[in-house]
Amino acid sequence: MTPDQKIYRVAYWIASFVVAATFLAGFQKLLYPADFALAVYRFHLLPGPLVNLVAIYLPWLEAAIAVCLLLVPKFREAALWLALALLALFTAGIVVNLVRGTGFGCGCFSHAPDAKPMDWMSVARNGALMALVVLALFGKKKSQ
Amino acid sequence: MFRRMHTIRNVWILLFAAALVASVANWVHPRKIPWVQDWSTHVEAKARKLGFEAIPLAVALEKHGASGTVFIDARPAAEFAAGHVAGAWSVPVQAFGEHFETVGGLIDSGAELVVYCSNRDCDDALELLVELRAIGAQKPLFFVDGFEAWKKYGGEVEP
Repeated sequence: MTPDQKIYRVAYWIASFVVAATFLAGFQKLLYPADFALAVYRFHLLPGPLVNLVAIYLPWLEAAIAVCLLLVPKFREAALWLALALLALFTAGIVVNLVRGTGFGCGCFSHAPDAKPMDWMSVARNGALMALVVLALFGKKKSQ
Repeated sequence: MFRRMHTIRNVWILLFAAALVASVANWVHPRKIPWVQDWSTHVEAKARKLGFEAIPLAVALEKHGASGTVFIDARPAAEFAAGHVAGAWSVPVQAFGEHFETVGGLIDSGAELVVYCSNRDCDDALELLVELRAIGAQKPLFFVDGFEAWKKYGGEVEP
């Protein structure tokens, strides 16, 4: 492995770790599904019958992505592509609601009613995370 | 090409595995939720349908104490007497007629009105919002989390 490949490999690991840690930080969604379902409902983007199904599924998908990023190298690339797709969806949902005007939180990390409402910083945070995912994918490709 | 196919296959495996785990988890979860829920009966959905803006605790806390904002408690008088948002006015929706003058004064003052009841499941605040709008209140706000969350998360309370 050349020094350049080593640097790309380290960038790939660090970026994967940060994305995984961020996804795991949303563990409250697993513990309080009713609160997360309410957060999903408040986006007003899904038909009613899909709200709970999405609220039940998404946190486990995030957890699966995080576990694969940290512990299952064979699935890491797939997890990165899924993370990118999820982050793009979340960001689009937040942008739509910011444009419409909302005072509610995104439900990303906290289920408490006093959680900070979503704002353009949430969009910037997701943008930074997407950049990290792209960096990880790029680093993986270059390190091989 | 082979690597791409491999990644796509792994994406599907991950999606399926997460669905499987989520299904089992919600089945055994101590706080499990119904797979499908009728959100149209939710108080917030009714408020949205009627065109009222709902605000959560975080926004209500910001607005509390700001000049030009008045909190209105739609719960019965006895519940108000036992504890309420500091500075709030009591206008029990069941006795709206008795408070007509007070409410009229608040509307005429041009203050931003924030209406609440006990929690996310009570209808009193929404019913009061309908009454307030009918007599001319401009864009009254619906504080959806209500007094229970206000008290629990450290909002200023009287008495």
